[in-house]
Amino acid sequence: MSFKKALTVYRKELLELFRDRKTLFTTIILPMILYPLIFIGYSALMIRQTGVLEQKGALIAVTDSVNDQYSQTIIRHLIEIENFQYKEHGEQSKELYEDKVIDGIITIRDSTLSPGVNAYLISVQYDQATDKGRMLIEKVRQAFSAAEKEVISGLLLDKGVSDKLLESVIVKEIDTSTEQKRMGMILGMILPYLMIMLLITSAAVVAADLVAGEKERKTLETLLVSAVARNEIVMGKYLTIITFAFINVIINLFSLFFSMRYMLSMSGIQTEGVRIPLEGFGILLLALIPLATLFASILLSISTFSRHMKEARSYEQPLLMITILLAMISFFPAIEMNKLLALIPVVNISLLFKAVMINDYQLSHLLLTIGSTIVYDILAIWMTIRLFKTEAVLFRVDDDSSIKNIRKVKQSLFNPYYGLVYFTLSLLALFYLGRHFQSGDNLLKGLMQTQILIILLPVLLLIRLLKLKPKEILRIKMPRPKELVLLPFITIPATLIVAYIMQLVDLVFPIPAEYYEMMKKIIKISPNPWILFLSIAVLPGICEEVLFRGWLMRFYEHGGKVMAVVYTAMFFAIFHMDPFRLLPTFFLGLLLGYLTIRSGSIVNSILSHTINNGFAIFAASYAGSRVMQTLFADSEHINHWILPPAVIIFAVSLILFHKATAPKENLCAE
Amino acid sequence: MDRDLDMSYNNEPQYPSSSPSLRDGSLDQGDVMIRVWDLVKEFPQRQGGFFRAVDDVSFQAHRGEIVCLLGVNGAGKTTTMRLLSTVFNPSSGNAEICGYDIRKQAQKVRENLGFLSGDTGLYNRLRAREFITYFGRLYGIEDAVIGSRIREMTELLDMNEFLDRKIDFLSSGMKQKVSLARSIIHDPPVMIFDEPTAGLDILTSRNIVSFIRDCKKRGKCVLFSTHNMREAERLADRIVLIHKGKILADDTLGALRDQTGQVDLDDIFVYFLNRMAGETEVRSDEF
Repeated sequence: MSFKKALTVYRKELLELFRDRKTLFTTIILPMILYPLIFIGYSALMIRQTGVLEQKGALIAVTDSVNDQYSQTIIRHLIEIENFQYKEHGEQSKELYEDKVIDGIITIRDSTLSPGVNAYLISVQYDQATDKGRMLIEKVRQAFSAAEKEVISGLLLDKGVSDKLLESVIVKEIDTSTEQKRMGMILGMILPYLMIMLLITSAAVVAADLVAGEKERKTLETLLVSAVARNEIVMGKYLTIITFAFINVIINLFSLFFSMRYMLSMSGIQTEGVRIPLEGFGILLLALIPLATLFASILLSISTFSRHMKEARSYEQPLLMITILLAMISFFPAIEMNKLLALIPVVNISLLFKAVMINDYQLSHLLLTIGSTIVYDILAIWMTIRLFKTEAVLFRVDDDSSIKNIRKVKQSLFNPYYGLVYFTLSLLALFYLGRHFQSGDNLLKGLMQTQILIILLPVLLLIRLLKLKPKEILRIKMPRPKELVLLPFITIPATLIVAYIMQLVDLVFPIPAEYYEMMKKIIKISPNPWILFLSIAVLPGICEEVLFRGWLMRFYEHGGKVMAVVYTAMFFAIFHMDPFRLLPTFFLGLLLGYLTIRSGSIVNSILSHTINNGFAIFAASYAGSRVMQTLFADSEHINHWILPPAVIIFAVSLILFHKATAPKENLCAE
Repeated sequence: MDRDLDMSYNNEPQYPSSSPSLRDGSLDQGDVMIRVWDLVKEFPQRQGGFFRAVDDVSFQAHRGEIVCLLGVNGAGKTTTMRLLSTVFNPSSGNAEICGYDIRKQAQKVRENLGFLSGDTGLYNRLRAREFITYFGRLYGIEDAVIGSRIREMTELLDMNEFLDRKIDFLSSGMKQKVSLARSIIHDPPVMIFDEPTAGLDILTSRNIVSFIRDCKKRGKCVLFSTHNMREAERLADRIVLIHKGKILADDTLGALRDQTGQVDLDDIFVYFLNRMAGETEVRSDEF
């Protein structure tokens, strides 16, 4: 790759962007005007509004059914509230309150707390949902707390007790936080969200223009026939997006910084000792670079895939929405950074930001955040370059994929897009219906309903509806004896390897103890080992294999067998909706996919899946037995020595399976 | 205003005497510059199977020759040209441009190729000079050389008036000239024009036609595609008839006339279509 040519592309793209008035306005001019307007205008308005509200006061209906000197004290304190007016509580008060003529109703009654102790029971009726209601309750509370003290001290004096007793407990609050830290906390909540949003929205505008825009304006082909390599084009465009997004972020921050400083000085808040933490910003900009590059490459992929800018902008929407949701994590007070969260893009930056702002972050988290984002980033760039080299993507035309057409040409259903739609729908069904099924008392029934109604039945119905041949589509074929013999030797070591992967996951992100408890609960759903075996080994074996290896596999075969296996394994892993098992199930999905597509028989993967789940039940049920004690160090951990023999047996059996299912022999067998 | 429509070649500007690609080979007049054999391009279809856009195409084009790829819309002209310019990868078969393999030496092929299609877009926010310079740099040409090439082409295409204007403000004729200049900035020995006059008004298409003639005069090998019989008749030294991805005929106009007994290219084309339909009788309903 010639970096010089990539730079040529980069320089030209920047030149073009900065000549575009629209982009110039949204990236540079708008933020410069927007923040001062928001901050100065908004804060002025806020102060004014609060003032106006207090001046307006409120009209309250009051009734005092006690009417002694103390209740009158309470009333006196109420009357002392500025701008508040009172009227006698009557029969029409309720109506007046509903018509909003009066803003509140206060009644004072007496009540008996315990024998001999009387109390003043005050009820305040107000509307928390209105500004006036909130102002009212705040003022009234202040009045009551002053009144309360006076009343109690009067009561004590009546009984001949000194009112000094009221001060027997004195609470003194010592707040050790500095202005600086408080400022950091507020900034840490708002800024990450703001910066991530700015980064992605500005990158999205540019990215859509860079490839989809070129397709739309018919300049892409010219670029492709010139003597520039495709990865040079990608690199040039990718740098453009990053640069632009960064310029936007920096200008925004700059404008924000000055507006805030102005606002602080205007509002008379003690600004001495309060600084905007600049070195924190330095660290964050550094951490933002990998995120910017990640966004850039994902957005560039979207732009490459899209036929025109409008399409690119609509495909960008889901990414923007996910990013907004993830970035909002900084608003949740209880969530703090840990090693697992440091691996989730956007979330990691958002939390790191928060920690840096109050100067309370760990270097390991910073490194994990940057490191993991770089890894995703490299993957995303690789994907983008691959996409850019794929003719079918670069010169994508609209297919006739209407329902009508599917009926006519059944095969047209099986394309990756519909595969994704089907998977998403199943996932949603699992999330909503599956939870519903399994929330009842009978977990066993719920699990079985989920397997049959959500996973298996829709596939069979669709096959029926479209009049497809189930045997052919789902690859229902008896495997040869050789394959059947090899299956346990492949599956059981694989199960142990998967368990080992799980252990490794546990090392990096500690799996909570509740998780194991939950798993154990599933094993205990039935005391009958046969029912247990049927419901969590055989049934998932059949249903899940029909969905993933039978049905979904068909949608991805055009892209080659390897990709079909990888995609279905990915779906299989996501379908379990369990972050801790993501990697282990993905591995298992790869194996099961291979078994089916290699042998041309789904029976293999059904059996393998059943053996895998069955072995897990067996291991849990006979945890105390001698065999299990040799395999397992404790209930969750297998012994390390297991790994080498497991890998060897797995590999050898797999090679034998691969040989036994060689295409040539396949032909002979048929 | 008329200046940009009037292509005056009277002053006969000179191209640099030797382009790099011509220097390193020992190519003479009549050398094969485009060699295509058994070229096949299949596109996967959603409903399974493949669509053969280019079906076993073979032909050659020589230095100083204008070859026309003639066929109706969807005949496979554009796909063939995209294969030759390495935008697409062939499914099977191969081709060479100036002796460079389109599969293995894509970069070299593109360096020796000028490509222009009728619906080419331009970067509207760039000035004409910036646009041409950008592509010059992408071809790896030094800035000083680009400068002198632009001066030559400005004279050739009469672009002086608008060279430093933003492309957005240019007329369609001016834009076409900028595109032409872009396609020859690297002085390639082979030019490929994909439907270069499609959608252009008469005067602008005349510019293109004289430009193609001029390329031939300078010893370039020109391959152009069109569905316009008249244009093919007027320009081409040799005509390659293509239909449904297959080559129907490949000869000079004179030879085609002799072979078919028809004078008009339209009639010659229909003659070969009928022959093809006759060969595959069952499929005749497709016409």
